[in-house]
Amino acid sequence: MSGRIAGVFVIALVVVFSVAGCQQKRVTTQDAVQQEKQQQSMDEQKKGQEVVVAEKQSSSVIESVDAKDKEAQYAESKENPFSDILFDFDKYDVKDSYKTLLLSVTAWMTKNGTARLTIEGHCDERGTNEYNLALGDRRAKAVKDYLIGLGIASGRVDLISYGEEKALCNEQNEDCWAKNRRAHFVLLHRVGR
Amino acid sequence: MISELESRQHNIVKRLRGNLKNILKKLPFPFCILCLLSCFLSLSEAKVYIDITSPVSKKLPIAIYDLQGSSGREISDLIRDDLTFTGLFSIIDKTSYIESASQAFKQQNWRPLGIDAVVKGSIRSEQDLVADITVYDVFEGREIFSKQYRSDTNLIRQLAHSISNDIYGAFSGLTGIFRTKIAFVAEDDGEKGIYIMDWDGHRARKLGLKGTLVLTPHWSVDGTRLVYSSERGRQWGIYLLDFLKMSEKRIFVSKGTNMAGDFFPSGDALTISSTKDGTPDIYALSVKDGSLKKLTFSDGIEVSSAVSPDGEKIAFVSDRGGTPQIYSMRAGGSDIRRVTFEGSYNTSPSWSPSGDRIVFSCRRGKNQICMVKPDGSALVQLTDLGNNEDPSFSPDGRYITFSSDRDGTKGIYIMRAGGEAQKKISPGGLRSYGPRWSPN
Repeated sequence: MSGRIAGVFVIALVVVFSVAGCQQKRVTTQDAVQQEKQQQSMDEQKKGQEVVVAEKQSSSVIESVDAKDKEAQYAESKENPFSDILFDFDKYDVKDSYKTLLLSVTAWMTKNGTARLTIEGHCDERGTNEYNLALGDRRAKAVKDYLIGLGIASGRVDLISYGEEKALCNEQNEDCWAKNRRAHFVLLHRVGR
Repeated sequence: MISELESRQHNIVKRLRGNLKNILKKLPFPFCILCLLSCFLSLSEAKVYIDITSPVSKKLPIAIYDLQGSSGREISDLIRDDLTFTGLFSIIDKTSYIESASQAFKQQNWRPLGIDAVVKGSIRSEQDLVADITVYDVFEGREIFSKQYRSDTNLIRQLAHSISNDIYGAFSGLTGIFRTKIAFVAEDDGEKGIYIMDWDGHRARKLGLKGTLVLTPHWSVDGTRLVYSSERGRQWGIYLLDFLKMSEKRIFVSKGTNMAGDFFPSGDALTISSTKDGTPDIYALSVKDGSLKKLTFSDGIEVSSAVSPDGEKIAFVSDRGGTPQIYSMRAGGSDIRRVTFEGSYNTSPSWSPSGDRIVFSCRRGKNQICMVKPDGSALVQLTDLGNNEDPSFSPDGRYITFSSDRDGTKGIYIMRAGGEAQKKISPGGLRSYGPRWSPN
């Protein structure tokens, strides 16, 4: 036990020192840039002055990141009994022809009381990325709202949009685009601990 | 018909002259003297060689010598490329120069050639690179400026671009963009990441960030931070990358879809689009304390918010009218007006640096780049090959970067703000899109 605490302490020290090291570096680049700016303003007053050309900060490569992902309580199931729901171009209304499919999703969810569902919204590539992400969100939400209307608790259904970022089919023709304009079901099961 | 028009114009001129006379009559005499004096003073202060506001302004003929010394030719070529792209200079071919590079500048060697300006200089490599540059005005037969530049030996391109900025500034009175950068998204081995390259497409490199999905980055006004959305662990979070602190921080996340918009000029808040209340709406997010202010309240889609340079207006995309169109509102969310009416798909608005234009993606069969005044007038289409998206102005407002798939793969292009001189700048084969021009 005390060994583990000591281990954590050593790691913490390493982190502190490496962060301090990074900051040290930063100060020098800032100075260089400041110098450049001062130099330039002096040049404006007096000609024949020297200009120091330094690299900009935005050129540095960012190595590390914070962002701890939460430990997942649910994992994706390999099994996926439900086919995709497809949408018309630029539309996010669920067509009546999918009622049977959505009823069977509801029946399955009722039978498997602890299961959870994520609905992914996708688009074809023809729109702009941001608008497509919003459109994908509306598609996923339209399906979720439909399921809630059929009696599934809203807490059991999550949604995420991938817009045009995760195309299923990569050719540029209507067949392919139609496959990409989809809401896709992902079943989640509780991760045992 | 013509004579009628001419006489009308003549009348207008006469009337203007009359008005001016009346105004002058009413003013006290010493005031007029002051006015005249200030006119002369401002004339002597700075000579402007190129009037960029004039649509028919003639290109400035300039002679640029290869700098004497190793890599001198490379640097001179870079300067020539920079100045050529502006469309404001015509670079006179070396073969017509009478003076040799080492001879002193003489006015009479250049006047007969019709050349207005001459750039001479040398480069030597000590521990650093040291370049001495002198620029001459042929008309007045004098030096315009003479400067020494010093840089690290591996910063040849930056050195050349700095010289270009000074030459451009001396002739146009404006700040050059030759040291600016373009941030964009590119796909490498199925992973999407943020890249940064010089404005001319050189030195493209990937920032080593987590996550495999990311959207267009947006610069802070001072160019020290980027904000963007990234999907990590099945959530779209908004992330802030700080170049001074060399760190990345998640500044917002909620269930659903969250997308970064633009920083406000103060830099302490930005616009985002979030589905936290159900449908995508625009919010102002404080970077300091994370507080949110909801700005739009519609049932439909509200995304791609762009803050005007003065911070007083926000352009955004909404489908409240049935199709995605550009709208504008005050920064607090009031006074919503529709900006675009033509076409059924207008998205990705971005402001010109002076706030007098909004550039956006317009669907005309395929997606094209269009530009409009914020009041919806003066609509023009700037591209017509392939699909073109994600336009963003250079900080001087003279150029636009955008993505295009016209050669088969999505890549980053630049053009002049009138649509001229379109060219691909991103590395061939690298699927790239979502460019944003750095503010400095």
